[in-house]
Amino acid sequence: MFQEITYINFNRQIAHNIWLMGFCSNDLASFAKPGQFLMVHLIGTQKDPLLARPFSIHSVQDNDNLLILYKTVGKGTSLLSLLKEGDPISVIGPLGKGFPLPEKNQRPLLVAGGMGIAPLFFLTQSLINLYQHEIKMFLGFSTSQETILLNELTDLGIDLSLATDDGSLGTKGMVTDLLDQYLDQESNKIPLIYACGPVDMLKRISLKAISLNLRCYVSLESHMACGLGLCQGCAVKVNNIDKPYYYVCQDGPVFLAEMIDWEAL
Amino acid sequence: MSELPDMSVDIGGLVLKNPVITASGTFGYGNELEPLLNPSSLGAIIVKGLSLKPIPGNPPPRIVETPCGLLNSIGLANIGVNAFIKEKLPALQKISAPIIANIYGHTVREYAEIARIIENTERIAALEVNISCPNVEKGGMSFGTDAYTAATVTERVKNNTTKPVIVKLTPNVTDISIIAMAVESAGAQAVSVTNTLLGMAIDVSTRRPKLSNTVGGLSGPAIKPIALYLVNKVAAAVKIPVIGLGGIMDYKDALEFLIVGASAIQVGTGTFVNPRAAVEVAHGLYDYCLREKIYNINQITGSLKKGE
Repeated sequence: MFQEITYINFNRQIAHNIWLMGFCSNDLASFAKPGQFLMVHLIGTQKDPLLARPFSIHSVQDNDNLLILYKTVGKGTSLLSLLKEGDPISVIGPLGKGFPLPEKNQRPLLVAGGMGIAPLFFLTQSLINLYQHEIKMFLGFSTSQETILLNELTDLGIDLSLATDDGSLGTKGMVTDLLDQYLDQESNKIPLIYACGPVDMLKRISLKAISLNLRCYVSLESHMACGLGLCQGCAVKVNNIDKPYYYVCQDGPVFLAEMIDWEAL
Repeated sequence: MSELPDMSVDIGGLVLKNPVITASGTFGYGNELEPLLNPSSLGAIIVKGLSLKPIPGNPPPRIVETPCGLLNSIGLANIGVNAFIKEKLPALQKISAPIIANIYGHTVREYAEIARIIENTERIAALEVNISCPNVEKGGMSFGTDAYTAATVTERVKNNTTKPVIVKLTPNVTDISIIAMAVESAGAQAVSVTNTLLGMAIDVSTRRPKLSNTVGGLSGPAIKPIALYLVNKVAAAVKIPVIGLGGIMDYKDALEFLIVGASAIQVGTGTFVNPRAAVEVAHGLYDYCLREKIYNINQITGSLKKGE
């Protein structure tokens, strides 16, 4: 774990309200694992917004360039989008537990809903060498205007299936329908599911995976004050009588689907 | 050769090498931040509030950010005093800063019992008694809102311990100085002022509270002016040391609290914003004293001048 003031390499809009930011940190980049996150704090905001914000590590490039992908949803992310190359930014990380890797007889199936693509892109980068032709990825976006990273994922050689809510690109409907259809087909390799996206999507995928007895990892989002296990603000209800709450920052953000109490979420 | 500033303070017989303490519930069980800082450089560490039995805490959402503030309803989640002593305390042996246990109960008897359990634990240097929690025997009213109950809790804890007892006061009262005087009379060796202020935040699109518990405690820079006022008021009412807290983010904030009468300060929400905040406050105070040729930090305490 490191706490650093680092400098922005680039910060550019890549789709409607969606931004990609890169900053330099050799230490953070060399320890970062897919599924882990960073606490990113604006410098000189005069205490409002007060707290740092958690962001998944989206990618590591050239050994020392860390990327985050974010949507401008509030004051903090709007201010973040105004930062320019060379501006300083405060970063703590890498934090949390990442995605466990598949075993030999497993085929990685990645399911991303909207901004859920942020940590899964990093996962594809680390899986690609080991599972070149095995990775299957399902992407769901609300509309073609918010559809991102198709070219990058295609360039990696990943087998993609795309759905949009309005049908403006790919299949019209839910990404979970595409996944369900796929899972209902015969396969000689056991699927291992990695999912990140809206809670309703994760819940549906998890319940499906549990019913088929498939291993499924979900990456959860939560409000966090610290990201360091101090505040206990990021509680998530789990199926454990002795310890009913786990913490997204320390126990997660990646959880085994069957651990989560989906009724409570 | 110039004289170096003496930063040590005496809190009811507990001597701290500097006046900077971590606030309960914001520094985990003491060693979580070791990758980022040296906890030994702090005056003392107050660990997460401990109850007799483990408490799972409230359902999420537990926190929401408000302008310059943090509203929380964690629900006093903790592993319980026995698990703390057995599982967490051994890892703190190499930290030289005194460890202060923050304790709370649902009944007066529970407070007394926790004090008794901790009494034989040498590594814990003092107790900070959180009296802001609901009293189940009195319809859930906070122990800290009634002078008699606050004094009773203090007295019962004192009866079971030889360690210094600090009582952490709630600001959600009509006159905090009455409660402060009551716990002083009951034997408290110091008071911490102040705990969080009760507050709410509403999602207008759903008309629901943003916290699952509806009500939470507000902390952070938003409450600093109120906390300063309360410290000033309590310091005038009692002879025991006052530990000031509420929105301290840097050494200048800390100085404000010392000036209005605090003998020591706690950094709480500031640690969430910057994990090194408390360490930086300690360094900042030292550099300030050196620069201003203040040879004893205690000279700052209560040095407030009259308004013009």
